[in-house]
Amino acid sequence: MAPEAILSHLHRADGSATYTHNGYCIIGAVNGPIEVQRRDELPEEATVEVNVRPAVGVGSPKERHLETLLHNTLRSIILTSSIPRTLVQITLQVRSLPEEEADCGIDSSLAILPHLLHTSLLALLSASIPLSTVLTAALVAIPSVSSSPLISPTANQLLRAKPIRSAHVFAFSGEGKLLLNESDGVFSLQEWDEAAEAAEEVCCKEEGGVGLGEGMEVDGKEGDNLDAWLREVVMDKVKWETRWRGAK
Amino acid sequence: MATSVTVVLPGDEVPKSSLPTPTGKKKTLTLGPGLRHIPPDTITATIAGALTTDNKKNAIWIDTNSGRYIPTAGDLVIATVQNSVAENFNCLLTPNTPYASLPHLAFEGATRKTRPVLAPNSLVYARVVSGGKHTSPEITCVDPSTGKSEGLGPLKGGMIFKVSLGMARRLLLKSKGEVIILELIGAKVGFEITVGRNGIVHVDGANVKTILAVGKALQEVDEQALGEKGQKKLAERVLKSL
Repeated sequence: MAPEAILSHLHRADGSATYTHNGYCIIGAVNGPIEVQRRDELPEEATVEVNVRPAVGVGSPKERHLETLLHNTLRSIILTSSIPRTLVQITLQVRSLPEEEADCGIDSSLAILPHLLHTSLLALLSASIPLSTVLTAALVAIPSVSSSPLISPTANQLLRAKPIRSAHVFAFSGEGKLLLNESDGVFSLQEWDEAAEAAEEVCCKEEGGVGLGEGMEVDGKEGDNLDAWLREVVMDKVKWETRWRGAK
Repeated sequence: MATSVTVVLPGDEVPKSSLPTPTGKKKTLTLGPGLRHIPPDTITATIAGALTTDNKKNAIWIDTNSGRYIPTAGDLVIATVQNSVAENFNCLLTPNTPYASLPHLAFEGATRKTRPVLAPNSLVYARVVSGGKHTSPEITCVDPSTGKSEGLGPLKGGMIFKVSLGMARRLLLKSKGEVIILELIGAKVGFEITVGRNGIVHVDGANVKTILAVGKALQEVDEQALGEKGQKKLAERVLKSL
């Protein structure tokens, strides 16, 4: 299942996106480049601010942790030096979580991380903030019993595959470079390698028939390529914006 | 306008084949918004959108209709005066951005003795003089070479309407922007319109009803991307209601 995305639907924000995938629904809004508070001002680059709001209640250390991860990853793809002394404010509101989220057996902050990354990227694209590259992310879970890793699993799949031995989140840049890795659980270096390879396959564009799945035969389910999906989303955005050209 | 659209994502390299082929005299390639040059000869995109080229001007840029207005030298904008400090008015082009400065003397006929008095929140139609990333933007209401206002200056009366940045560009393109609604309404009722590149349209007319009708019609054309037929229908409806 490819994720669903709606772009630029909040009219007060400079850029916005709603992203729905595997039961997660997140609204992202980006404002920027705007004026930055004096104490946060950086003379040579833009300040990036990430706010994560949970579905229920107020933010907790878990959200602070996610904000730090997102902040560091996004700062590396935003061309901060091209908009110095400004602020790029990214607000992510979690709207809904899958029902089985609480007992799917992996750290909930890991499970939501790829979705938050995708939402913020889409919102940044919608706000036309200068970026050096795009990013795609995937969750890989390795169950204790069967050896084949689950790639971008739904909460239900995780529940059925329990117990999960280790979970990994990988984010790749458009050129296929690793931007972020968060791993949790017990795993060997070889398992990590396999997981990274599997994630790379769903995240990055295929380059001329390389890498026909070693770790990819996941119960016959073809993982949609995220790079291709991203291109499709942007294509739709461009079509929507230029629809006046051919209009009657 | 090419029929097939090349859509680029940030980080995508612009292939040599999509660069414009200069038709006129030999000119240097001009890179517009959303593109960045990495020496020696790589051009990559920084925003997502449609790659557009102009062979005549030997220019290439990325066309989008989203995001915040970034002041660029030469743009016509509608600015809101916030306050007056020393020799300048502090103006806002978009909310929550650093002030753009408008010198007191940058008006037609202004001298040290006769300065224009602009109350906070009054509107001015101005041209962006400089908009570099390292300085706050500066705007002016006179043509520096002639000292004439050329239509720029304070906007009195009327109302402002927000439109998308793309719509503002289309309105400034005149006939190429394919907005005919103004001519259609203008044939029957009189009104005055000022378009700022920062997505603000100022409409002034004989009465509030006309102003609202024109402003709302423009916003509708923008939101629904109405073509020629749709605009004609809308104009008829608007004129009937007046």
